[in-house]
Amino acid sequence: MEGQQPVLIFTTEKDGNFFVYVQKPKLSSLHKYKLEQQKSAKPLCFTAHITNQTVTLLCLYSNDSVYQVLIPLQQDTEEEKKVKEEILSKSLLLKLSVSGAVLKGTSLVVVDKDHVAVLGSLAASGNKPKEYLTVWNTKFQTLQTSKELPLGTSGQLWCYEEKFFLFHGRVLTVILYKCETSSLAAAVGKLKDSQTLDVSSFVNWNTLEDEEQVVSFQSQQSVALKGESRMNLRSRRSTVAEQSGTLSVGQLLLKLKNASTYVLETELRQLMAKAPTPDLQATIGCVVTALIDRCKRNPKYYPQTFLQEIVETRNLSYSLCPDLMAVALEKKDMHLLQICLERFPDIPEEITYACLKAFLSMSEEYLKSIDVNLDSAICYVDVEYDDMGFKTETLENGFSAEMEQDMCDTKIPTESRSDGESCPVGLRKAALLNAVLHSAYTETFLLPHLKNLPPQQAVLFLRYLYYLYVKCSEKVNTTLPGVRSPTINQIMDWMCLLLDAQFTVMAMLPEAKDLVSNLHRFVRAQVRFYSELNKMEGSLRELQRLNLLRESQTYSIEVLEII
Amino acid sequence: MGEFQVHRVRFFGLVPAGVRCLACQPRGTRLALARTDGTVEVYNFAANYFQEKVIPGHEARSVESLCWAAGARLFGAGLGGDITEYDLAGLSAARGVDGGGGPVWSMVANGTGTQLAIGCEDGSVKIFQVVAEGIQFERNLDRRKGRVLCLSWHPSDTHIVAGSIDFFRVIDVASGQTVQRIMVNHQVEKAKRECVVWAIALLSSGTVVSADSFGRVQFWDWQQGTLAESCAVSTSAVLSLAVSEKEDSIVVGTSSGATYQLQLLPVRLGGLEKQWVRTKVFQFHSHDVRAVAHSPTALISGGLDAQLVIRPLMEKVQKKSYDAVLRKFIFPHRRLVSCARKARLLLFQFSQYLELWRLGSTEETGKDGEVLPLCQMPEHLLQLKSKGPEHIYCSSISPCGTWLGYSTASRLQLYRVHCDGDGVSLSKVPKAPKLLPPAYQLQFSAASDSLFVASARGAVHVFQLQEPGGCKHLHTLRPPSGCSEAVYLLAPSADGHWLAAVSGDWAIHVYNLKCFKHHCVVPSYDCAVSALAIHPITNNLVIAYSDQQLSEFSIPEKQYTGWSRAVQSRGLHRVWLERDSPITHITFNPKNAAHILLHDTFLLCVLDKSLPLPDDGAILMNQSTLKQLPETARKRQLHAFKICKKFQPLLFMDLLDKNCLVVVERPIMDFKTQLPQPVQQKKFGT
Repeated sequence: MEGQQPVLIFTTEKDGNFFVYVQKPKLSSLHKYKLEQQKSAKPLCFTAHITNQTVTLLCLYSNDSVYQVLIPLQQDTEEEKKVKEEILSKSLLLKLSVSGAVLKGTSLVVVDKDHVAVLGSLAASGNKPKEYLTVWNTKFQTLQTSKELPLGTSGQLWCYEEKFFLFHGRVLTVILYKCETSSLAAAVGKLKDSQTLDVSSFVNWNTLEDEEQVVSFQSQQSVALKGESRMNLRSRRSTVAEQSGTLSVGQLLLKLKNASTYVLETELRQLMAKAPTPDLQATIGCVVTALIDRCKRNPKYYPQTFLQEIVETRNLSYSLCPDLMAVALEKKDMHLLQICLERFPDIPEEITYACLKAFLSMSEEYLKSIDVNLDSAICYVDVEYDDMGFKTETLENGFSAEMEQDMCDTKIPTESRSDGESCPVGLRKAALLNAVLHSAYTETFLLPHLKNLPPQQAVLFLRYLYYLYVKCSEKVNTTLPGVRSPTINQIMDWMCLLLDAQFTVMAMLPEAKDLVSNLHRFVRAQVRFYSELNKMEGSLRELQRLNLLRESQTYSIEVLEII
Repeated sequence: MGEFQVHRVRFFGLVPAGVRCLACQPRGTRLALARTDGTVEVYNFAANYFQEKVIPGHEARSVESLCWAAGARLFGAGLGGDITEYDLAGLSAARGVDGGGGPVWSMVANGTGTQLAIGCEDGSVKIFQVVAEGIQFERNLDRRKGRVLCLSWHPSDTHIVAGSIDFFRVIDVASGQTVQRIMVNHQVEKAKRECVVWAIALLSSGTVVSADSFGRVQFWDWQQGTLAESCAVSTSAVLSLAVSEKEDSIVVGTSSGATYQLQLLPVRLGGLEKQWVRTKVFQFHSHDVRAVAHSPTALISGGLDAQLVIRPLMEKVQKKSYDAVLRKFIFPHRRLVSCARKARLLLFQFSQYLELWRLGSTEETGKDGEVLPLCQMPEHLLQLKSKGPEHIYCSSISPCGTWLGYSTASRLQLYRVHCDGDGVSLSKVPKAPKLLPPAYQLQFSAASDSLFVASARGAVHVFQLQEPGGCKHLHTLRPPSGCSEAVYLLAPSADGHWLAAVSGDWAIHVYNLKCFKHHCVVPSYDCAVSALAIHPITNNLVIAYSDQQLSEFSIPEKQYTGWSRAVQSRGLHRVWLERDSPITHITFNPKNAAHILLHDTFLLCVLDKSLPLPDDGAILMNQSTLKQLPETARKRQLHAFKICKKFQPLLFMDLLDKNCLVVVERPIMDFKTQLPQPVQQKKFGT
């Protein structure tokens, strides 16, 4: 990433030959190099860094040595493109051996210009090999420090901003490490300094239960970072990271106002990772607001995945970023809206209504092209009906006209029954509507908005609610399968609310007539059923009372005749 | 036959304690049960689920967990922090061994019964070795924060799984280290409630089955730490869980009183892939089901409503037998009431006190079914609290009503009752017999001049009662061949000549009290004796067994009577044999030698030996039919069993004089109202 220009380096193997490719995606140029062959040894691991227009490629070979390959970053010219492949010569940088014992390296990372870290197992003669993380000084060819990893590792090692990440046993271990500027005194061990590999924090996968813990872990990490003294700067990225630590959030956002999209997102990501705990939420709020402002200014700009990521991983609320949902509505970002509805505790009823309307008006064809979380609906919406799409005609759901009597549930003709069982909306729409059903609302505030719902959409929504109700009633415990699926109470509340808001329309609309009269019959049957039960309860109570009166006597003398 | 004046007593305020835990004897026929008051009971499946042994509780000894180890040894542990071995022959609790980890919430024995693991309040799991003289601390396993509420061994004894609040962990027994810790509450969104793992089981496949307070039964792959299946069985907490020996069926109990069965069934008919499916639900209990057990043929559950329910699995029952019917037990299979016939007093035994009542009286007579006006109300004479924390083993009042005795685990108390006019006073007999306690049964002779004390190792002590208030040890009767078990039932003859005693090995010994010699042994019958009595005129010993068989043994002739042989050869009526509860008391009508009165929890029966036995085609309970027939037509319908089911549940029945009965009932509703409120459940319309 020298000079705002990303460079991609990758290696391939073919018939024992190793090739290195250097690609600059921005300039769409690709260079292919062949690596000088080495007898009886193969490269195991590569790592690279760029300094002064030169790629320094370090290779860990199976003969326990690290080789250095220098690749100049060329300017693209026509002639060079014709050169088929250059052979790269390598030079021995380091032999991984300490007083006779050889370190069998498995992975290699660059710490700074004079230090590399190698993860591998040290096989001392006669003993069982033990796994070590080692840091080597390339200038003086010495082992700087090492740490034993008795529980074993996966052989993989990552380094990111003076932190080593590796699997140690069952946990992901993070080791903070800082190299002093290389000096001979340090290399031969004269200089006693603070560099240790002892500071290690780790993530136990077993405890990673919810986001809060992850967040706290991250903040912990950032606090630990702050405690470190100035570190050697290796790349431009860490320079910025340093700065953002000193700049206030507002200043930074101001500074980034006109930065390029890519830079902006990178900076914001870092900012979020480093934000101090007390005002973490506020900072993220600011970040989202900054993004939204940018979206508003630049209609072409819409960082969909980044926003989704933020909403999904942070405990945001509507009030922290009031414009987010409005923009998402404008951009028809259904997935983001779904996530917001599921997660925000304080969405105004107006926005909830706007989402509902948007979801209902969306065509199934359009929905098919977008990605939404289907978990809440997939378990009960029949996929085969999904293909049919939703029907604008609502007549087939009704009951035959002669079904005037109250026995609504028992004598449904099989034909209309099967229609009642098919979902009136597609799978994606159902999932989106479920998100609306899940959101918090106050009836008084939602009702006026619901009155504005176009009749066709209201009928469709009611049919969907009725379908959910039927599905619920099929189960003994009246719950729908799946995660975040609506509960029976939510369904009933919304149904009542919708009928309250749209009753006159429903009564007038011919396509709603069957549905409404159906519901009416059902409610009437329920009322009768309950009144019967209450009557029964009354008489049972009376019987019990009589019985108790007789039984409550604790003593009596009775006559018993036994024949 | 005749009319009786029945004193119908419902003021015995017995509240049976809730069932806390159950333990099926592995590969055995016994079920151990502990109640919330610390009482431990042993039921014998082979003897029609007879409540064979009862070890009364102790205030300081709560039992949270019971387990069988080393074959037939029973251990209990509780919140007192001790592990106690129960002496099932001597019906007592041995001295406890301190668990060393605070209150003990759970205890399980390993597959071979050689080790016990306990889960403690302080989060530790400790292993104890079962040795000949008791148990011995072996070592501590990895300790983590959070009380260990439930434990389960892997069938191969290599791992233990321990359930706590919000998580459970798997411990490698060899290294003692926790090898896996799994949170159980992460699926419940935003749940700030804690999720209590109430019960857990580790199957041989490595699957961990957990039951939690969110009403879920979950199946985990502990090696991966992943949830394989989650079954939301109930909206209320799942409190208990038991797995069948074949590991194809699980029973769980919930706080709403429902029990559920889950079965491992093929997903497709004939397919190999299997899945746990909730198959059956039963609502037998009104309160928390704190304990469940899974016998090879039945689901067993015990609730805080004091019920023990045995629900047979019909697919596992081969033939129609006693085991094939649902059984519910609430009341003990022994007498808690004794009656002073002459003085018309009733003595009620509670766990820590006794109540003495005087019956009322009437001067009227009436027809069948009439309630007579009372001229004197029943009177609560006194309440006698037992001293100390121990619960009462047994109690008795003499027929004349002047002597009263009770025994706890460590003391035998004897009192003199003085009735002067309206007042009643007690005086303690100063030189109360010093014996090796406890006494398992106290029985006064018919003339109220001697006291028989059933004791350990088959011994019966005989005391002479002296006026005005003293007693003297006369003799100790022992079976000639020796016996390791305690005597639990006694029956003296009315003429003071004979005494029959039944010990825990079900042998019935008859002693001659004139010369204090062993007279004979009743030929052994391999079933528990639930009641016995000696006829006052013929000196025939009538024995009721828990498998509902009846026999009559002539003491003077040392052989079964002709009537008894006739009964045996003909067989008792099918309905009689299929009854639920055992006969708990037998008495006789002195005016009619052919009559034997018996009762169990649900019926009262007058057995008229002079009438023919009913055959299987006849209606056993025919009283209501008979009452509709004219006098002349009755003759053909009469048979020996005259059964009355009017009084239920019946705890005691005795004949006061020739046509006066006393029955003690305890209506279920009466004691249910004294239980704590169960989990509120929404009923229709409310």
